[in-house]
Amino acid sequence: MLSKLLSSQIIIYHCILFFSFSLSVNYFVNLEIINYFAYVCFHLTLIYLFFYFFHFALIFLTFLYGIFFDIFLVDNISPHLITFLIFSVLFYFARKYLFNLSSIKISYIIIILSLLMFFSEALIANLLFNYPINYENFIWIFITFIIIFYPTLLLFSKIDKL
Amino acid sequence: MALSFKVKAISRKRLIKNISLSFIFLFSVILILFSKSDYFFVNKFKSISNTYLHPITSFIVSPVKVASNLQTQFYEFRNLKIENKILKEEIMRLKKWQALAIHNSSENRVLKKLLNATNNDLSLVKTASILSRNDFLYSKMVIINAGLKDGIITEMAVINHRGLVGRTIDPSINNSKVLLLTDPNSSISVKTISNENHSILRGADDGIHLVSAFNKSEKMPKVGDLVVTSGSAQVFPADILVGKIVKVIKNNFYVLPFVDFKKIDYVQIVETK
Repeated sequence: MLSKLLSSQIIIYHCILFFSFSLSVNYFVNLEIINYFAYVCFHLTLIYLFFYFFHFALIFLTFLYGIFFDIFLVDNISPHLITFLIFSVLFYFARKYLFNLSSIKISYIIIILSLLMFFSEALIANLLFNYPINYENFIWIFITFIIIFYPTLLLFSKIDKL
Repeated sequence: MALSFKVKAISRKRLIKNISLSFIFLFSVILILFSKSDYFFVNKFKSISNTYLHPITSFIVSPVKVASNLQTQFYEFRNLKIENKILKEEIMRLKKWQALAIHNSSENRVLKKLLNATNNDLSLVKTASILSRNDFLYSKMVIINAGLKDGIITEMAVINHRGLVGRTIDPSINNSKVLLLTDPNSSISVKTISNENHSILRGADDGIHLVSAFNKSEKMPKVGDLVVTSGSAQVFPADILVGKIVKVIKNNFYVLPFVDFKKIDYVQIVETK
């Protein structure tokens, strides 16, 4: 069980996860695009881990990432924590149905889930803490998502073959 | 016997998972509730994450920081000639203002002495540099390298050479967060210089301007009026420059802050003497 938890692919994915988290919470005024890339990459990696490397410990990790994202980006705990937990529990209960889907269908689900996550985070931040839903940010996130979605999945499939 | 042991082990494992899942959810609900009520525990949690996690993330992204700085330096180097010309003109303009300011300052001192007025100058608590920025996506915050050990407490005014930057929140031992004026949840009481029109400003949705949330008088200020802190909310000292009114729409007016929030490297934490 421990070997499954610490296999080389999972370690790489967790490194990507932590690196993209670090980039997301440190804002670069002149290289703002990097922040968007990292933010989108974090969500994609998390969903990919849930699909293909689900482990119960991942829920606890998502819980921690949710708290830290909220502290650094919102300064109030809620939007990321609620979103991450809801999605991780949904995966926990629905994973036996998701495993039977084809890879194309899984890709569609990843796209829909990622966009839903971005929207629900913004919505919760707006409802609970009065942060306006910034459509310019959404457009940037969407563009970044379109650009990096396919290359990221390609990279992940290469990592899987290691 | 073996089968019953296996069934028992599986059900125990499931029970542990369900208990831990419930615990995570319960803890999340507590954190969310405490976060809304601004409880001591959440503030402690925030300050711990600032002290321990932030340096790790900063270290990890240091190559990107170096690349970002190099890019900035390259752009600055490219615009060096034009900037030099602009600065020379500004020096000439400022020299004229300096002469006028010295004259006014000495006149002020004499008048204050005559009126026996109390001095409301600012006292500097600490000059700090920006460690990192957290003004991506939601809140508008920066982290500075001054904390409780430097005498920083919450709700202290933060300024730079251009005017008001924001206020301190969540100080830890070595560093603290500064909530910038442009944050939608930051509110400051201000007045216009021309007619002392008192109002409250908060960060606008665009993340650049400040918008009036409450206006004391029915008469709206004019475009071009200068806005300073009123000092009435006891958070910010009075008469610190905030910005200039750039547009008036219906019952709201928009202020463009004097501080360029994309180019702040050093700030000063001040309090009233």
